[in-house]
Amino acid sequence: MEPDFKHILLFKTNIQTAEDKTLIAKVMEKNKIEQWTIDQQDVDCVLRIVSTVLKLDEVIHLVSKNGYQCEELT
Amino acid sequence: MRARDLNKVELVKQKAMELLVKIGFEGFTMNKLAKECKISVATLYIYYKDKDDLILQVAMEEAERMSNVMLEDFDPEASFEVGLKQQWKNRAKCMLENPITAQFLEQLRTSTYQEDVYGTIVNNFKLTLGKFMTNAINRGEINPMQLEVYWSVAFAPLYNLVRFHFEGRSIGGKPFILTDEALWGTFELVLKALKK
Repeated sequence: MEPDFKHILLFKTNIQTAEDKTLIAKVMEKNKIEQWTIDQQDVDCVLRIVSTVLKLDEVIHLVSKNGYQCEELT
Repeated sequence: MRARDLNKVELVKQKAMELLVKIGFEGFTMNKLAKECKISVATLYIYYKDKDDLILQVAMEEAERMSNVMLEDFDPEASFEVGLKQQWKNRAKCMLENPITAQFLEQLRTSTYQEDVYGTIVNNFKLTLGKFMTNAINRGEINPMQLEVYWSVAFAPLYNLVRFHFEGRSIGGKPFILTDEALWGTFELVLKALKK
């Protein structure tokens, strides 16, 4: 049931609204990132990605490029 | 390594229930929970996708754990008196030894999470108890009745006594502690009401 913890990437973002989410969904789809969720009930709008290949920096770059704040959640 | 992780998950579960009982579903946040557990928010998000995921997972695990305790040593083929007594024993134990879980699950019953949690887990539980009631009817120990009517007579008195006990007072603010005497005295009355 639990994914391998090493493969979970977590980010603090400002992807706040349903529209923001739709836009990010397209970005994810285009980049073939399938296992992602975003907690829009949380102040940090935490983006959670499960991936064996992606690196933190790559996601930060990708999200930032599309106009959103994105930093590693610690 | 593995053992420590399991402890952490248990701590998160316990604290989550305490916090949810204290401040409710609306006020509950991942940040508040992380603070209570003295862990980082990131750790919480490793285990759970979001607040809803966390509440649902904790609820399902606890509901399953509780329904297993409730069915311990319970044989749906037992005579009505023996079976019902075991049910009372198990339910009282469940609630009195896990007050936070009991309150949390009660709170869940009136929430939007209710369907997801009770839909799957409680099925087996309901089947076993339904079978027990049907057996008692077929053996002529009790009269045929709706499961809901049966439940209301068989268990609601127990739940109410436990509620008084948790609140520490009964009607009109009178102090109340549930004793074995009161518990089993009530059981006898329930038995008298249901048995032919």
